Amino acid sequence: MRFRFCGDLDCPDWVLAEISTLAKISSVKMKLLCGQVLKDLLGESIDYEKVTKITSDAKFESGDIKASIAVLSFIFSSAAKHNVDSESLASELQQLGLPKEHTTGLCKSYEDKQNVLQEKLRESSLRLSRLESVSWRVDYTLSSSELRDVNEPTVLLRFQVQGPNTGSKETTVVSLTAEKFRVLLAELKQAQSLMNALS
Amino acid sequence: MLLVLSDEQKEHLSILTEVDVAVVAEFGRIAMEFLRRGSNPKIYEGAARKLNVAVESVQHGVEGLMYLLTESSKLMISEVDFQDSVLVLGFSEGLNKLLLQLYLDNHKEIRSILGELAPHLPHYHNLEWRLDVQLASRALRQQIKPVVSFKLHLEQNGEKTAKVVQTDPATLLHLIQQMERALGEMKTNHCRRIVRNIK
Repeated sequence: MRFRFCGDLDCPDWVLAEISTLAKISSVKMKLLCGQVLKDLLGESIDYEKVTKITSDAKFESGDIKASIAVLSFIFSSAAKHNVDSESLASELQQLGLPKEHTTGLCKSYEDKQNVLQEKLRESSLRLSRLESVSWRVDYTLSSSELRDVNEPTVLLRFQVQGPNTGSKETTVVSLTAEKFRVLLAELKQAQSLMNALS
Repeated sequence: MLLVLSDEQKEHLSILTEVDVAVVAEFGRIAMEFLRRGSNPKIYEGAARKLNVAVESVQHGVEGLMYLLTESSKLMISEVDFQDSVLVLGFSEGLNKLLLQLYLDNHKEIRSILGELAPHLPHYHNLEWRLDVQLASRALRQQIKPVVSFKLHLEQNGEKTAKVVQTDPATLLHLIQQMERALGEMKTNHCRRIVRNIK
């Protein structure tokens, strides 16, 4: 059976197993649990005390709590990843055996946060290195040991780059003459117009 | 298979004859705690004060016991062999029974601790990927060049490293094909025969 929210693949066995665990808590508690899991996926910390309180009625052991958080995380992130709308998600979850009230609660939470979640996933996609900042300075050389009257402007550019392994910042400083700088600027403007044509 | 103890070790274990059986049980508990968490010299001093003996004798006694337990668990010697090895030391009947009980209760745990001491190679932790298409470069416009970039996260002894690699889709397909062939090797008769014999 192929499911859209699993990327047109079979649903993993553990997800099927844990959906029946989810069915044990009431649909109101389920909606609260969804809220906590969404908070965790969006980068805020999850409040484990609240989670234990929510699941205490159904007498979940610590293994069950971890499993239900894991399966909800999987459902939300996978559905956002494959850009599944909430109606399709609802029908697929019901096919897997999640009761109707739980499904409606889950899909309502998903629908509210779908765009924010996709934005967060877009931001955390793999990026090799990032340009943090650029600073520049224009100098005017008056004279040097080689020639008495130089009278040439130079540009100094400093790039702060965050390397591919997080936490490593590299600084590159280059100095350019006016002609080189004009060439650089012209090429970058061409690249910018190509990027604008795409977006 | 009998355990052979050197004279020095026999001398270290001789302290066990000079104290009560209850004290030996306590030494056994201390030895197990040290095997789990590492040794703590303060415990030796406390025990030496209570028993009114030198600190070195307590230390040697506990270390001798630890050696006895780890060697027996490492070689997985049977009850009979363990009893015969201990008989050489000339302990009382009660002491022999206690040592045997200590061995039987703890050998599984000691084996799992010893198993973690083997050297580790870096192993898989996480894999991030992205699919890009190069549309233009400074030298050539109107290109279509797909590129897949991977960041492979590895872990070795608690240290995390990351490797960034890039490949084109044709190489990626070849890579996937080779890995599926490698997985398929497990199903050949040759591998099945070996796996059956290990079990």
